[in-house]
Amino acid sequence: MDRLPRGRHGLSPEFVARNQRERLIAALTQVLYEKGYQETTVSVIGQRAAVSKSDFYKHFESKDDCFYAAYEAAIERIRAEVVASCASHGQDAWSPRVRDAIAALLRTLAADPALASISLVEGLRAGRGVYDRYQSAVESFVVYLRDGAPPAPGGAEVPAVTDEAVVGGIASLLGRRVLAGEAERIDRLLPEVTEFALTPYLGTAEARRIVSGG
Amino acid sequence: MIDAIAALSAEQGYESTKIADIVRRAGVARKTLYDNFDGKEDLFLAAFDAFLVEVRGAVEEACERTEGVWQKRVEAGIAAFLDAVAANPEAARMAMIEALSATPSASARYDAALREFVTLLRGGIPAGSNLPETIEETLVGGVAWIVNQQIRRGEAGRAPDLLPELSEFVLSPYHGVAEISSQPGGESDSTVPDSNT
Repeated sequence: MDRLPRGRHGLSPEFVARNQRERLIAALTQVLYEKGYQETTVSVIGQRAAVSKSDFYKHFESKDDCFYAAYEAAIERIRAEVVASCASHGQDAWSPRVRDAIAALLRTLAADPALASISLVEGLRAGRGVYDRYQSAVESFVVYLRDGAPPAPGGAEVPAVTDEAVVGGIASLLGRRVLAGEAERIDRLLPEVTEFALTPYLGTAEARRIVSGG
Repeated sequence: MIDAIAALSAEQGYESTKIADIVRRAGVARKTLYDNFDGKEDLFLAAFDAFLVEVRGAVEEACERTEGVWQKRVEAGIAAFLDAVAANPEAARMAMIEALSATPSASARYDAALREFVTLLRGGIPAGSNLPETIEETLVGGVAWIVNQQIRRGEAGRAPDLLPELSEFVLSPYHGVAEISSQPGGESDSTVPDSNT
């Protein structure tokens, strides 16, 4: 995010404040990815965002406060992409919708490793406060899978535990790949992740047909 | 001391747990702790390892003890895991929740533990399934997630109730493969519903 011009710029104070806040969030996300939680200090964040320390404290009470805001912003960015991909499908097209939602998720993460890192790795590593947010974030994606899901092969309803285990399993796999420094290549997992997500509902053969059928 | 740090970090979190609390709870001298461990993190990792050894041992034993088809052995392994969580809810919370955010070494240890269970599951299923390479990773991650939720709700004691759902979750990808490979075009295909309904 570009800093604003110095001196008189005719911008409203609200605009300047919002811009500063967004810059701080972007800076924290990037510095965290580069240096890890310990070395991401308020002064480093401020320097990167070109915001003074005293201005930092006008927006956030502490580093953690800024961290929580950055975490929420990261999750909402991912959610916006997933929701947009779901919106292009009607209610009746469950499996193509799930496939496209997973594609949007993986594409968004691969395009921005710093985003992938804060949402899937640092969320677990930065203490209890963020861990709780990670939990709720993962849970909040279950609805996109559950909505309109068909019964299991044989006709029985797929238990709620399965919906959650599928989403949790995907988060776990992606987190481990990001941790291994493979965020940029995470979109290559699309066929595997899609097959994993569809199998409990459609059976292996049908899940594979959809994955390979494009 | 290992029991004390497991209980305390389950109750109040790793960060808030002080050496003084641990020695008081364990009823040992501070010196005894430092004679045996480098400090709090070292003790925490020892507690994590102790629980992992216990759980992995129980799972392996259950798999070996169980006769019959491989699916039965996998199910017995999951049952043993859930029983171990129920039998020791504090250690389970320490190892499956606190470890994730306690220290970088602890979360690396958690990651390595997941990998061990991935290897265990992979070893328990017949070769040549032609499923995605990552299937066991996602399945183990999914099971860990569900059990993690159960512990967070304070219902670790009822973890064994999850057995039917979790077994079905873990085995369902392989059902498909067994059916496909043993009876091509057979009855398994007729039970697959239309994907677009």
